[in-house]
Amino acid sequence: MNKIIGLPVVALLGACTGNGGVMDSNTNTVQVEEKSQLEKTFDAIVQDDSNFNWQDLVGSSSQNTQAAIAPNAKEKAIAKLKASDTNFVLYFDYDGSDINEAGTQEIIKHANFMRENPNIKLRLEGHADERGTREYNLALGENRALSVKEVLGLYEGLEGRIKVVSFGEEKPIATAHDEASWQQNRRVEFIYE
Amino acid sequence: MKLLKIFILYLSLSVGLAQAVLEVTVVKKDENSFPIVVSQFELVGQGSQDRDISSIIQANLERSGRFDVVIPETLIDQNVDANYWKQRNIEAVVTGIIEQQSKKIYKLTVSLFDVYSNKQLFTRSTRVHVSGFRKVAHQLSDHIYEALLGESGSFNTLLTYVTVSVDDNGQRYYRLNISDSDAMNVKSRIKLTTPILSPVWSPDGKYEHKKIAYVSFENGQSEVFIWYPYTRRKIEKLPRFDGIASAPSWHPNGKSLVLTLSKDGNKDIYSYSLEDKKLSRLTHNPSIDTEASYSPDGKRLVFTSNRSGQVQVYIKNLDTGKIKRATFEGRYNAKAVFSPDGKSLALVHRVDNDYRIALLDIKTKDLTMMTHNELDESPYFSPNGDMIIFSTNRNNKGLLSVVSVEGNRSYELSSVEGEVREPNWSTYLEK
Repeated sequence: MNKIIGLPVVALLGACTGNGGVMDSNTNTVQVEEKSQLEKTFDAIVQDDSNFNWQDLVGSSSQNTQAAIAPNAKEKAIAKLKASDTNFVLYFDYDGSDINEAGTQEIIKHANFMRENPNIKLRLEGHADERGTREYNLALGENRALSVKEVLGLYEGLEGRIKVVSFGEEKPIATAHDEASWQQNRRVEFIYE
Repeated sequence: MKLLKIFILYLSLSVGLAQAVLEVTVVKKDENSFPIVVSQFELVGQGSQDRDISSIIQANLERSGRFDVVIPETLIDQNVDANYWKQRNIEAVVTGIIEQQSKKIYKLTVSLFDVYSNKQLFTRSTRVHVSGFRKVAHQLSDHIYEALLGESGSFNTLLTYVTVSVDDNGQRYYRLNISDSDAMNVKSRIKLTTPILSPVWSPDGKYEHKKIAYVSFENGQSEVFIWYPYTRRKIEKLPRFDGIASAPSWHPNGKSLVLTLSKDGNKDIYSYSLEDKKLSRLTHNPSIDTEASYSPDGKRLVFTSNRSGQVQVYIKNLDTGKIKRATFEGRYNAKAVFSPDGKSLALVHRVDNDYRIALLDIKTKDLTMMTHNELDESPYFSPNGDMIIFSTNRNNKGLLSVVSVEGNRSYELSSVEGEVREPNWSTYLEK
């Protein structure tokens, strides 16, 4: 039984990029567009804390908007807080985002600092250890940072100056696969900007 | 957005970036694997070349764990001597002829011979452009697999995965890669110093429609992007939402995706349509809901939630809106995906302090442990449902492992220079 079946002619298009088909140049980075009408619509739907302006915090655009406070005064204030006995990292239990009494005491120190320095903004970075799935840990990291923000938010005028981000298990402090490392990685970092 | 008519197939044999190339190691094969001879192909005419077609087929069949591939030292022509191979316990013989017809066009004739019936099971003849040799080799592997085993192969498909490398200064680099199912023909999209997560192939069959949704932190927080690897279309970012945007997964129609957003305070699952750019909310719960994935028919959605106080897997029936818990064994079950037949789930299951891949029969609730490692993640089925690919960790290094659902076959994909993680396997490509 000799059956001849014609396969379709496959892939007559050859690779014809100038760089040999390797798509690894920065020319392919994400296209960042001006806010479209669509995005504005979404923003209108989604923004709860609309008084927060992320653009004030990140990147080069922060320089001109921070004119209200002299950069060195801000840095000095942060350096002073760092030199005090205030913790800039809070740690959490496995799969937990609850804050204990000692943690609350630390957060109160940060709240006082923010009230004394009304032009300083805070980024809370939530992290998780490597156990469990990456996406769940991303969510868990955000919950941890939100727990801290919740306490700070009890103080008037602070909530709108706090940005929460989560990196899940992607930015570990310690990389060994044991409880000593995991404990260090389940954390929220206070980053003043 | 302007649709581009021109699309490019990156099918060149040349290897992409050194870091992204994975090493394939067959770990375990079926005890009763099928003994088959795959001969080098006969070259007819000047300038004819095998271009690795026979070796791609050999490697494919061997890697599946269901074949014992014998490569004869001398070329076998199409007049196969059945008695000779019967004495050597060979059950099938693959032969081929490659004939150059023009500069870049070759005529390829491949035959599969059954030793015991002394018959040719098929002969296929096709004209191939030199750039399509790899694809034809994968298609032929699927034909041989199906002709001999009566099941579909998963060779003419694609993988995507993330590689992580560290340079001499300790700087980490993340790459998003795509490759053929044999981890060859690698293309890397971008080198970032910030993490890349959860790449997932759209279910489209045509190359020019194929896209990958993934999560990147390049703007300082998790956002979902869409990459069109076979067109000149630019990478698209989903509209910005407050908080997390992550865990994308495609609807079977390829026109919308589900993702996790925390814009409303909770981490809930939303569906986003690429056509009308509309967002609709699929879960409403103050707990974490994430890692959603559709059933193959699009009627059910599986996701991870800690709504019970533990991390467990739930299934939402999208017709009735009802949500049912799917996992009851153990305190941690997450990142479930449906098998192609919709009957079972592959998921991450915690046993004591270990995270392993398990297979759940949705109806009977039977949970079968697939692995015995410590840190397994990101399971995904091969398109024929025969194997599960996942990431694991050995000697502090991330690698990919592929295990058959029966557990009797496995192979590994490891990066020579760094780690590899977050695997995802495409559906079948259009023939």
